Amino acid sequence: MLTNDKPLRILLADDDEDDRTFFSEAIAELKMTNQLTLFNDGKDLMEYLNDPESDLPHILFLDLNMPYKNGLDCLKEIRANPRFKNVSVAIYSTSSSEKDIEDTFIEGANIYIKKPNNFSELKRVIKEVVHMNWQFHTSGLNKETFFFSI
Amino acid sequence: MQFSGLYKNSQVFKIALGSAIVVVCYIASVFYTKMQELNTSVEVISTANETQLELEKLLSIISIYETNLRNYIITKDESYIQNRFLKRGIIELNIKRLKTLASHNAIRNKDIVTLSNLIDERFGLFRQTLTIAQAKKVNADELNEKLLQSGASTEKMREFVYKIINREDVSVRYHNLNHQFELQDSIISAFLLVILSLLILLLSYNKMRVDIYELKKANDELKFLNYSFSNAEKIAGFGYWKYNLSTDKYTFSDNFYRLMGMDPDKQKPSAKVLGKYVHPDDYESIMKTHYDSLKTLEDSTAMCRYVLPNGEIRYIMAVGSFTKNSKGHTVKIGVNYDITEQFQKTLALEENNKELKLINAELESFNNIASHDLQEPLRKIQLFISRIEEREKSLSDQGKEYFSKIRLAANRMQTLLIDLLNYSRTVKGDKVFEKIDLNSTIAQVIQDLAQNIEDKKAEISVGKLPTIMGIPFQMEQLFVNLISNALKYSKEDTAPVISITLEKIGTKERYNAEPINNEVFHKIVVSDNGIGFHQEYADKVFLLFKRLETDSKYTGTGLGLAICKRIVDNHGGFIRVKAKPDRGAQFSIFLPKNIA
Repeated sequence: MLTNDKPLRILLADDDEDDRTFFSEAIAELKMTNQLTLFNDGKDLMEYLNDPESDLPHILFLDLNMPYKNGLDCLKEIRANPRFKNVSVAIYSTSSSEKDIEDTFIEGANIYIKKPNNFSELKRVIKEVVHMNWQFHTSGLNKETFFFSI
Repeated sequence: MQFSGLYKNSQVFKIALGSAIVVVCYIASVFYTKMQELNTSVEVISTANETQLELEKLLSIISIYETNLRNYIITKDESYIQNRFLKRGIIELNIKRLKTLASHNAIRNKDIVTLSNLIDERFGLFRQTLTIAQAKKVNADELNEKLLQSGASTEKMREFVYKIINREDVSVRYHNLNHQFELQDSIISAFLLVILSLLILLLSYNKMRVDIYELKKANDELKFLNYSFSNAEKIAGFGYWKYNLSTDKYTFSDNFYRLMGMDPDKQKPSAKVLGKYVHPDDYESIMKTHYDSLKTLEDSTAMCRYVLPNGEIRYIMAVGSFTKNSKGHTVKIGVNYDITEQFQKTLALEENNKELKLINAELESFNNIASHDLQEPLRKIQLFISRIEEREKSLSDQGKEYFSKIRLAANRMQTLLIDLLNYSRTVKGDKVFEKIDLNSTIAQVIQDLAQNIEDKKAEISVGKLPTIMGIPFQMEQLFVNLISNALKYSKEDTAPVISITLEKIGTKERYNAEPINNEVFHKIVVSDNGIGFHQEYADKVFLLFKRLETDSKYTGTGLGLAICKRIVDNHGGFIRVKAKPDRGAQFSIFLPKNIA
């Protein structure tokens, strides 16, 4: 579905400035032809997405714990709108609690990534997730494969 | 018991008394007949004596008449024949008396008739003699003849009278003799009667005395029992009441009144008094329970509050059941006991429990937040370190070493936080038990630890494991910890060999001195060939934050085995370890075969 010649549109919604920096640095170092847009919170993200003028992303990296509108609420809104049915949502959180994993799985996230504590690992995760065969991954999705193990 | 003994004794006594009375009656009747006979002989004797007397009198009267007549014949003095001379009045009286005396005797009766005839004859002669003697010219020959005739007649009469007297005399003597015998017999029977009566009296008295003593003793015991019961009531804080369904009568024990804060016996027991101090909110339900049970005759249990006259509120547990008394009446017996203290304690406990739960929940969330939120800055530190190590090549060697140490410290902190989180998860109350096939659990664990196992070049063998009831993530955690432990404490120069097997429980194996039943528990053994430790530390390894190895080669949080113990505890089992320095450790996990 995704080909290298088309620019890959990636969104990241995360309230942590450092995490946003790490993420964009990792993307830059991976030298992928892509287009990364960053959002500071869920509210900004949803405003962007709900604007019909906006280009829809291929992959949305979504932090859970954010001010104004948290990740889970964003996820619910996105999955409630058929316009976003082709947007893959990767949860990107510090938490690895059963509850968060369970909730986001039920609400229709595609993958759950626990934020790595090592930069090279971060690069590896982004690389793998971006190059993932989403159709294949989504069709065989279960709770075990949902949680991205590094 | 004593009462039945008393009863048995009195039966024997009744029989004895009955026979004694029969004997006394017999003797009394014998005595009565004897007295009767005695009476008869006395009568016979006195009759005979009287008869004799009368006869003598009769003879003497005849003599007096004869003398008077002779005197007249000689003196011709009229005064001898005056004064009712030859009147038969006195004689007739005599005869009449004799007849009365002889009324029960035919022979004597006949004698009297004969005597009467003789007297008639004699009086005829008297008159004839007198007629001759009164004539103007007395015929001497005629007179003489009459006088001779008279003498002969008198003689005849006397002879007859003596004959009767003689016979009477014999009869009297005979009766007298009889009388003697009868008197003796009567005395003996009377004596016997008196002796026997005295004996019975004495026996009765003794029996009565013994019975009274026994009764008094039994009575005292009953009194004491009653007293103890009433004391027990007071001490234990219960009161008892009865309701007779047939007579519609209530009975309350003293302490029953006291429970209600009333003076015993001040009010007559009734259904009204029964519910008098019940809290208004409880009144309807408690009385309904009571009356319903009277209909169904089923045991009843209820709880209610009493509002005592002084305003105090007491919690009362009331139980009742039915029985029959000696008259066959159905009786409801109820016991009310004061459970205020227990109730308040329970309330306090519940309150404490709530508080504890709250504190626990708070602690848990604190623990959760602490370990969770602490990870966030820690992750940042780790990320920045990894950035510096990767990019800042110009750092001095010393600086590089410092950063390496910072990284190690941060990593250790991360492990500690994860372990803390894991530990807090095992403390959690809500545990859902599921069927777990331990074979797949171990497979999953080995897969999770694959990198670590590969790094250590460890050899892991797994035997066939059972299916148990448990909490899946905890079981996984248990084996992750045990296998990680085995990998971590392996010898530097030897590849770790770890085996996980199901073993049969030996008959000599004990837990807290109790034999471990092979039917009840599974025994799963995780053994390694690692550095081991002294057996004396076997219990310490399971304690929170207890570490045996201080060598920096072996990093650990001191939480891993504490978590294992916790998990096995949660599953109603137990864990223990056998170890020797340099000879590896053998962890035995005992898990119940059936968890409800």
